[in-house]
Amino acid sequence: MHCAGEARLAEAFFFAAGKLGSMEHATILVVSLIGMTIILIAVIVFRPEVTATRGGKMLAFLVLLALPILCMGMGGAKELHRSMSTQFCLSCHIMEPYGKSLLVEDPTHLAAAHFQNHLVPPDEACYTCHTNYAMFGGLKAKFNGLRHMYIYYFGTPPAAEDIKLYESFNNRECLHCHAGARSFEEGAVHTADPDLLPALKANKTSCISCHSVVHDVKTLNEQKFWKGAA
Amino acid sequence: MLSTNTMERRLQLSGIILMLGLIVQALCLILGRGAMGFMIFACLGGLLVMVGIIVFLVSLVAALPS
Repeated sequence: MHCAGEARLAEAFFFAAGKLGSMEHATILVVSLIGMTIILIAVIVFRPEVTATRGGKMLAFLVLLALPILCMGMGGAKELHRSMSTQFCLSCHIMEPYGKSLLVEDPTHLAAAHFQNHLVPPDEACYTCHTNYAMFGGLKAKFNGLRHMYIYYFGTPPAAEDIKLYESFNNRECLHCHAGARSFEEGAVHTADPDLLPALKANKTSCISCHSVVHDVKTLNEQKFWKGAA
Repeated sequence: MLSTNTMERRLQLSGIILMLGLIVQALCLILGRGAMGFMIFACLGGLLVMVGIIVFLVSLVAALPS
């Protein structure tokens, strides 16, 4: 019994140590700051009489107001940054088919081709295409994300195949990377009609009108899937 | 454990709530990766920290001589 308890304790310790080892430096910094703040708050909780002195009052102000606000701000920034990750987007069950569509073994599937060939950073694949590259676009994307989470946890989320974009996909998001790229500017199809490139750049002709298969979640059952890099 | 002095008791209460909120936030940062971690960080951790700060500020206002 005693040994089993110790084994569980050791397992928990190694689990925590493993988690700490895999954390980014910024997260370690924020967690350390939170830990330090908790220790200082404990001084006020267990020895409240220290607040009778001038130094104690300053300590109370620091650890009961300033440091918690700093911790929450830094932690919040870290969490917001984490919300840009592919893993974060796919953590909602409803997004699973979209995640699966990134592994479709068909180069005509736009999202899959971008993901598998690292044309977008694989760990921020969703955000890279679905953010908005206009002014305050990142902020707008994050507010939309908060709205999605609210609907997912407190509302009635639609079926995966019924999910639609708020507005038609703007070429600006594609041109953020493709504008100026040789394959785009000098591509045979893009230059066949001299009016096409200016129309694409002015968002008068949508990129999606030709590259129409993006996330085809309705036909996933008929697709073959890439197993991923070894 | 709580002090008999009203001001000190409020500070202790504020500290306990803040510690709980910060522990929740630290756990979310260490263990959470998905949307659930974010929700717990913001809704539970954030709420506890905000309540703790408000209790501290109320204790300051209540301590002002009338």
